[in-house]
Amino acid sequence: MNRRIVPAEHTPHGYMPMPHRVWAYLILLIGCAVAALAQNASPPTNVTAPFSAQVTHLMGFEGAANNAGGTLSIQGSALQFQKNGKPAVEVSIASVQDVFAGDQSRQVGGLPMTLGKAATPFGGGRVVSLFAHKKYDTLTLEYVDANGGVHGAIFQLQKGQGGTLRDELVARGAHVRQSEDEATKQSTAEVSSDHK
Amino acid sequence: MITSKRVSLILLALAMVAMAVAHPLQLAAQAATPKSSSGRDSSGGVQWSVQVVQVDPGDVNLSPSFQIAIYESLLQELGKTKQFKQVLREGDRNATEVSDLLILKTTVQKYTAGSETRRAVTTVSGATKLTVRSQLCTRGGQVIVERTVDGNVRFLGSNLRATHNLARNVANTIKQSALPEPSLSVPAQGAQ
Repeated sequence: MNRRIVPAEHTPHGYMPMPHRVWAYLILLIGCAVAALAQNASPPTNVTAPFSAQVTHLMGFEGAANNAGGTLSIQGSALQFQKNGKPAVEVSIASVQDVFAGDQSRQVGGLPMTLGKAATPFGGGRVVSLFAHKKYDTLTLEYVDANGGVHGAIFQLQKGQGGTLRDELVARGAHVRQSEDEATKQSTAEVSSDHK
Repeated sequence: MITSKRVSLILLALAMVAMAVAHPLQLAAQAATPKSSSGRDSSGGVQWSVQVVQVDPGDVNLSPSFQIAIYESLLQELGKTKQFKQVLREGDRNATEVSDLLILKTTVQKYTAGSETRRAVTTVSGATKLTVRSQLCTRGGQVIVERTVDGNVRFLGSNLRATHNLARNVANTIKQSALPEPSLSVPAQGAQ
């Protein structure tokens, strides 16, 4: 007669069934969240991020002005150079016959720096010159146009980007005539003889 | 005393910059002598076309960027002279259809790498020097003009500027050379 009302989940040993169900829900929820996050976070493994960098076009890229700053990027199967606010010019990566990465150092500051150095008394401009040079990477491309004519283009990139872009171009089908060893030797020779 | 010295130094620097700016302008003005683009030069004769072949580094360890820079600068400078009806690149298929074609071959003979920093610091050392042998040949291999030309950077400018100076000197040398009339040339034996 004197019965206690006991919930269905309640057992004489405590509230075991309830925590089990909660844990199950939680585990299911966490599993779903992790799966969703993993789906969003991981990019497709077979597509590499396209290369894009701020460069200076020194010469040779058809349709681009010499010594023009702009963005050099890989767009699909083409290498594209776009000066700010100007239409982009591009060449097919398949038409690239050779790629060389090298480096050089150039004076920073342009004409104002040159004038400033010249105006510094007691030869102080020479001391400024010691610190007014910055190292850059260069990328030299050799490619052919629709008529078969050989073109050469030289770009100046931030230090460390030359090799990356070269590798990227080779991976996407650019031809390289020199073997890897020869290219490395060439690059090293340029560095040692051209430490401007 | 110090102030007057400083003023004179500034004036000297300005004079140097003015000279540096004025000299290329003068050369550009010389190079821009008008000639007709109809395939005839100012004397009414038929103009040659020229095909520029890639630079042969010879025995010199010349970096690819220099080879490419010389090749591109040559194309640019020869175009500026307006001495030739067409300036064609190596491998250009249109060259087979051109009857009066000369081929410009460039072989590097001497190269001193130089250093822009050393030039800026010492003034007297670090010059970048290039010496090439330029040959203007017919399709049959007959050499019409052969010259040794220099291109240097001694004071201002990057090392690659030597290639620009060299190409300008080559173009000027060819311009000053007396080329035979195209009609007297050896018949075409196939494009290179």
